[in-house]
Amino acid sequence: MDTLITTLSAITPDRIWGIDIPNYFWFTGSSAAAFIISSFAHVFGMEKYKPIAGFSLLMALVLLIAAPLNLIDDLSQPGRLANFFLYGWENFPTSPMKWGVLLLMAYPILIFFEALVLYRPYFVKKMNFNKGIKRKIYSLLSLGRTQLNSEETAKDHRYGFILGSIGIPLALCVHGYTGYILGAVHGNYLWSTPLMPILFLASAMVSGTGLLIILIPIFQKFFTTQRRVDKSIIAELAKLLAWFIVIDLTIRALWLSFAIPFGNEPKNYLLEFFTMHFNITVYIEYILCLIIPMIIGFSKLRHNLPLVFITGIVVAMGVWLFRWSTVIGGQTIPRSMPGFLEYSPHMIGQGSITAIIANWLFFIALVCLVTSLFPWDEEMEEHYNEKGLNHE
Amino acid sequence: MDESKRNFIKGGLASLFVASTSANAFSLKNPGRDKKDSRYIGDKTKHYAMVIDLRQCIGCQSCTSACMVENNVPQNQNRTSVTEMELGEFPDVRKAFLPQLCNHCDDPACVPVCPTGATFKREDGIVVVDSEICWGCGYCANACPYDKRFMNKETKVMDKCTFCAHRVDEGLLPACVETCVGGARIFGDLNDKTSEVSKLLSNYPTTVLKSEQGTKPQVFYIGLDGRMEEVLNATANLDDIMRKEIGIKEHEWATMKGEE
Repeated sequence: MDTLITTLSAITPDRIWGIDIPNYFWFTGSSAAAFIISSFAHVFGMEKYKPIAGFSLLMALVLLIAAPLNLIDDLSQPGRLANFFLYGWENFPTSPMKWGVLLLMAYPILIFFEALVLYRPYFVKKMNFNKGIKRKIYSLLSLGRTQLNSEETAKDHRYGFILGSIGIPLALCVHGYTGYILGAVHGNYLWSTPLMPILFLASAMVSGTGLLIILIPIFQKFFTTQRRVDKSIIAELAKLLAWFIVIDLTIRALWLSFAIPFGNEPKNYLLEFFTMHFNITVYIEYILCLIIPMIIGFSKLRHNLPLVFITGIVVAMGVWLFRWSTVIGGQTIPRSMPGFLEYSPHMIGQGSITAIIANWLFFIALVCLVTSLFPWDEEMEEHYNEKGLNHE
Repeated sequence: MDESKRNFIKGGLASLFVASTSANAFSLKNPGRDKKDSRYIGDKTKHYAMVIDLRQCIGCQSCTSACMVENNVPQNQNRTSVTEMELGEFPDVRKAFLPQLCNHCDDPACVPVCPTGATFKREDGIVVVDSEICWGCGYCANACPYDKRFMNKETKVMDKCTFCAHRVDEGLLPACVETCVGGARIFGDLNDKTSEVSKLLSNYPTTVLKSEQGTKPQVFYIGLDGRMEEVLNATANLDDIMRKEIGIKEHEWATMKGEE
């Protein structure tokens, strides 16, 4: 097309989703990943993940409680939250956002009950130790099953297995639906691919594992009685992370290779989009945040705790960046007028940088609350003693 | 059970019954449609469409102004607008105008994704937004391939062209059609074979925007130059360049072009 087309005047289109949405995607994704890692022990019986299974489960719970607040903040009429529940069910089959309600409610409830089952022996012990109101609370938390005999323990295992088994597809759905939300938008050239849910899940496994690599050493070092970091589990997580990165890279390669070289008309937009963001995408998102961590995870470097800790930070941030460049980037692509849009989040108010920081602070506060309520450290200790490992 | 308790329970049940039948609370659709409010249903016998004859458009923007006044659209927001372009290279240059509005698609992308059912298609084909129900998630705006939805900065809910449904229900024409200087906008009922829109559609080749999106737009163009859709190769909107130049940034989303 040689003809020059000059747009003299047009209306700048309205774009809706801001910084809240990538942050939301990051939280739900990481939650799903943390849950799945906990299920390695609870459902698949993989012994090496037992010490961190409880902790991962609690992180999954906390992440998913914090996540939906981003959505509420992004609404321009947050006071009308109830409308979501009252109306529009006729769109249930076609609105992935509608599926989200059920998932966002069912999933944390399930994790909560799984945590209660998992920690029942600790609650029973606490109950026997305390009197009055405290005793009642612990009795409530143990769901009325106050025996500690082998029969009841077997029941705990069975319930834990059942809840964990239901939880795996639920965790996949709770993050997969967010990929659907974007993938279903055929008007957006970057988003419109059936790969979107699985792409989101793959990168979620990366960020969730990254988050555990950051949190577990901190919690083991400062909040357990032994005050020592289990280097072997961190190395194990780093290797797991490397495998997740392989999957993530494969799906991203499929996505981009289908969209750009073999794509229809939209490929021109995508080509321009990726040319504009070439440096960030290639050097930061891919090389720094995926390929280097993958090499670390597969090599002996994974036994180097500080390096792996930094890797955790890098991959978690890299996935956040991916969420950002997908959600925000997708919206910058023009549809009805020339020129890419530009987004810069404002500092205060709804959908601002401050709101995101507030959400993170809320998350940290919840981590503190939940980790002080649930005896994850005792559980961890017990597993290490069982293994006869004086872990270092 | 003594009489007073019995009466209390009866009274409670009766009021619960009344409440559950009168409340709209557990509607699967939305209250206006459940009540069969004519503003929500429209005229079932009709199917409204618009034909835009680009040969007649002179780019005067009177449709844009008439719409703003008629629909009380906030400043700097638009339900309809006319994009102005220059096609070709000197000396073979010509001006082109592309009036754009909600396409009232037969298979709209915005409707099925709405999580509250606030946006829906009336039985006469007009796509509307219930401003009482919309909670402002913006999913419909992202789903619309035409970028014809916006967040009304005053009402804080989704807004868009309604084909002036309130006027149409009264037997009037949409404000933009009535005001169009060149008679470029023609509005009418496709079910009526004698209507002007039906005649134009059967007598002229017409095009819709982005037919590949499969949304079946009900706004048809006569004389649409395919180049006008080739926005990628075009320069950035001059208005935006100007806005950037003088440092106006209205909100967090602003335009730019990579090559600037």
